[in-house]
Amino acid sequence: MKFPSYTTPREKLWFYFYRTFCGLVLFFLVAPLIVVIPLSFTNSVFLQFVPEMKIFSFDTWSFNFDGYGIRWYKELLGICSDNTGTTVCTDRWMIGIKNSALIAVFATFFASVLGTLAALGLSNRHMPFNRLIMALMISPMIVPLIITAAGMFFFFAKLNLVSTLPGLIIAHTILGIPFVVITVTASLAGFDNNLLRAGATLGGSPLRNFFKIQAPLIAPGVISGALFAFITSFDEVVIVLFVGGPEQYTLPRQMWSGIRNEISPTILAAATILVVFSILLLTTLEMLRRRAEKIRGITPQ
Amino acid sequence: MKNVITKTLVASAISTAMLAGAAQAAVTMVSWGGGYSASQQKAYIDTYSSGEVNLISYNGGLGEVRAQVESGNVVWDIVDVLPSQARTGCDEGLFEELDRSIFLPAPDGTPMDEDTMVDVPNDCVVPQIWWSYVPFHKADTFSGEQPSTIQDFFDVEKFPGKRGIHTWANAIVEMALYADGVAIPDIYDVLSTQEGQDRAFAKLDTIKDHVVFWSSGAKPLDLINSGEVSMSLAYNGRIGGAVLNDGADYVTVWDGQVLEEEWLVLMNGAPNRAAALHFLVHASSSQAQADQAKWINYGPMRLAALPIMEAGEPWFNTGVNILEHMPNTEEHMKGGILADPDWWADNGQAVNDRYAAWMAQ
Amino acid sequence: MSDTRTLDAKGQLLTNDGVPLKESLRKSLRRTKIRSFLLLLAPLLFLLIMFVGPIGSLLSRSVDDMEINRVLPETFAQYELWEDKSILPSEEMFAAVVNDIRATHKLEDSEGNNIGKNLLGKAGTRMTYEYSGWRSLLLKTVKSATKVNKRSKEEVKPYTWEAPYKEKMIKRDKRWGKVEFWQSLGAMKDPYTIGYYLNAVDLRFDANKNVIQKPEHLKIYKTIWMRTLQVSLMVTIFCLILAYPVSYLLATLPMRTSNLLMICVLMPFWTSLLVRIVAWMIMLQQNGVVNDTLVGILPCFEGMVNLPFFGEKNIDLCFSDEDRIPMMYNFTGTIIVMTQVLLPFMILPIYSVMRGIPPSYMKAAQNLGATPTRAFVRVYMPQSIPGIGAGCILVFIVAIGYYITPELVGGKDGLMIGNFVAREMQKTLNWGLAAAMGAILLAAVLILYWAYDRLIGIDNLKMG
Repeated sequence: MKFPSYTTPREKLWFYFYRTFCGLVLFFLVAPLIVVIPLSFTNSVFLQFVPEMKIFSFDTWSFNFDGYGIRWYKELLGICSDNTGTTVCTDRWMIGIKNSALIAVFATFFASVLGTLAALGLSNRHMPFNRLIMALMISPMIVPLIITAAGMFFFFAKLNLVSTLPGLIIAHTILGIPFVVITVTASLAGFDNNLLRAGATLGGSPLRNFFKIQAPLIAPGVISGALFAFITSFDEVVIVLFVGGPEQYTLPRQMWSGIRNEISPTILAAATILVVFSILLLTTLEMLRRRAEKIRGITPQ
Repeated sequence: MKNVITKTLVASAISTAMLAGAAQAAVTMVSWGGGYSASQQKAYIDTYSSGEVNLISYNGGLGEVRAQVESGNVVWDIVDVLPSQARTGCDEGLFEELDRSIFLPAPDGTPMDEDTMVDVPNDCVVPQIWWSYVPFHKADTFSGEQPSTIQDFFDVEKFPGKRGIHTWANAIVEMALYADGVAIPDIYDVLSTQEGQDRAFAKLDTIKDHVVFWSSGAKPLDLINSGEVSMSLAYNGRIGGAVLNDGADYVTVWDGQVLEEEWLVLMNGAPNRAAALHFLVHASSSQAQADQAKWINYGPMRLAALPIMEAGEPWFNTGVNILEHMPNTEEHMKGGILADPDWWADNGQAVNDRYAAWMAQ
Repeated sequence: MSDTRTLDAKGQLLTNDGVPLKESLRKSLRRTKIRSFLLLLAPLLFLLIMFVGPIGSLLSRSVDDMEINRVLPETFAQYELWEDKSILPSEEMFAAVVNDIRATHKLEDSEGNNIGKNLLGKAGTRMTYEYSGWRSLLLKTVKSATKVNKRSKEEVKPYTWEAPYKEKMIKRDKRWGKVEFWQSLGAMKDPYTIGYYLNAVDLRFDANKNVIQKPEHLKIYKTIWMRTLQVSLMVTIFCLILAYPVSYLLATLPMRTSNLLMICVLMPFWTSLLVRIVAWMIMLQQNGVVNDTLVGILPCFEGMVNLPFFGEKNIDLCFSDEDRIPMMYNFTGTIIVMTQVLLPFMILPIYSVMRGIPPSYMKAAQNLGATPTRAFVRVYMPQSIPGIGAGCILVFIVAIGYYITPELVGGKDGLMIGNFVAREMQKTLNWGLAAAMGAILLAAVLILYWAYDRLIGIDNLKMG
């Protein structure tokens, strides 16, 4: 690091202290996620680094990978090697992944449609109760999940929606709407209404104008909102615990019961896959953001 | 508004059909998961040829049961319930009162209701098992004198190390009183008084600083394995599962064990009522009850199952004798406390509130 | 310009179609309003029915005490006539109980099925919440007061019990002679009650429906509410302390570098909550990475040392297996995990506000003679306050309703109110109490939400 010549030693010291502090905070955010990855390849049944997992021995000066394997990934896929008397080999993880994906896809779709409609409606400044409706649309994100879940537990029972996939899809749609409303509203904020007027002057029908002019501009907002909705649904467990029946295995629910009941490193294998998955999503989002900036003609400094 | 609801319902109906496939024809039985469910699968379901039974797990409690019955939208058929829930659930009409004559008598002709280890509390329940809360430790934890009584569990001076106990009050308050010198038959009388409860909690206070709490059955084994606690309470079947199947070197201290009943019940308005009843008859037979002990060391509720097991020893699937691992043998019952579900149905809320307050302080 | 303008007789501005401009604008405004309303209709209805509806149905349970009033109407009517509530009530009230039991016992639903027995069962459950023992007392009395044919399950008459009942009932179960049982009826006698709310804050009704404190050993919720506040506040403060410097760094670094570092912030944000909890379990448990590292790297020194002033001392500086710090399944664990989980919610709003503060202000302040510290405190920090406010309220709102994290890592002293709502919902089945606790929590969150809207405006909420 190059400092200007007038920097005092105290300032230098402060600078290094400050950078170290920030580094530690970022480390605090990411480190636990990184630690999961090597541990998921353990061969033991314990959720801790056992002595066999030491890969380099100073005594013999050699590497040793015997403590590692893909045992728990196999278990995740439902391929069990040790089906003893006390365990029933399950494909629940796979069912869980399938169910989670299914629910998330449907919920994301509905949330995107409803959220975009709401954001378009709310973009009209003259709409009465604009602010109140906006507050309502965002409230599913604010109301504690346990309250939403408890309410739905009673209400959905009356509608025959408890223990059904549609019930979970409806619940997750509600949780997803605020994200879409927020991101689409944000992308509409930069929208120049004169473009629509220009389109109308040139003879476009309102619908055509929407799809030709407005849609491409709000698309990045819709997509990033949809991604938020997707990940929210994919991660959600409180509602699933209350509204879903025991037969509705979802991935987070499986992890929940894994942590609570049958503590095995399978949850680490699942966690690793989810970490990789979130990195992929994040990359997608970052690319979308750059694209959106490019469209609007803003370039990074 | 109404239109929207109808539409939503139609949409959900269509998607249900689309997502879940054909309507469920198999009987749905709800149980606790883990090794216990596995034993039910192997002893009851795998031996049942007259229909399909789908075994799923729940976290206990009557919440889902009550919501299903109240809304008239029952999706479960058979539920495996704790004793106090078997009583309140039957009183509240959540479970169906069954015609007792359909169940199979013991091989010697004794009717089922007279063939159980306790009086059948009501007409809803179908016999299942006996299980117990019991302290255990690793064989090599203590050198010299070994823990042998419930007093030792409460004595952190003599047997150092932390204690693992569960996050609700059942069993632990009984144990505390027993360890404090109350005779087993008097425990619930003492507990019914304010002073008795104070006494139990005073005893609990003596280990307060040495306690690690658990709330799921697998956790105590984890706590013992990692050395976090030196002794822990656990469900006896969890300990037995590790010992019998995986050769773990755990020692169970049977003195002061608290035995609990376990019953099967039929949901009121069960969707597959007839098939479920048929299966219940099979699952409650003396033979099926004995078969379950091949897979787990929970004691059968039906008396007639014991001679079958005795005659078949070594009865456990790995070829060891199972009777000595059962909670309800004469030997183990000497210091055994039979939990009183009626007392718990009356006082559970208050005592558990107090216990929660004690934990939180 | 003025020559193309058309005016009507009144001097109003007209459009090309000859309609007054004002009118035309009003029309077009109405059209856009209608269009917006139509766009909003579907999402609004969906949310009202499927989200507001459920929450409403939850809240209605927090005051509803209808069912018990359906079972014991005569008893509650007699209760009003009971004058000195410190002595046992008279025969009329005992008779009222028996009459109510008999009347309820025969109740049938529209299809002719008996529901009375179950109503009495539910009443027993409800009454036990008020006073321990009610359930068995009531059900025992049901058996004596009614008579049922074992085979046909139909009621048989005449009843074995005849008036007067007072002595018979006390003989059947001596608890009928305890005035506390009778007094506890007072809390149930109204079809709508605030009793559940009182219960949720460790209060209760006495016999005369005065609000009094619960006995000391049954007080639990005040501790839990305080803990919930304490955890949320601590997490908010820790998040702020950690987030502020990092946000400043991210805001002042060149865009490319800061975007790279931003990934570190966003990655946990995008990773499943349960994954993060598992990760922290591995880090913090007794045999976890942190404790292993401490045992492994801390220098170990043990032995006698001759210290100046203190003389010969036995020093044990070892961090050995016994010294492993319990950081999981307790308060500490809850705080650590929640801080990490909620940190991005603090960094993002502060960062986005800081990005908008022109760096030239700081330079100007320094040019005018302020030290860098002074310039930062007097010029930069005040401008970043909106971000701090947004972040703090957001983190606090999310933290106060947490359920999953405390449930899995909270152990005995890290549980929050959300966990007790779940306990009452699923285990003890006191749904009225669960609803009341939920309602209080909801009210707290909505007040904060309103404050957030007032101070920052919800439309300024940004993601990522």
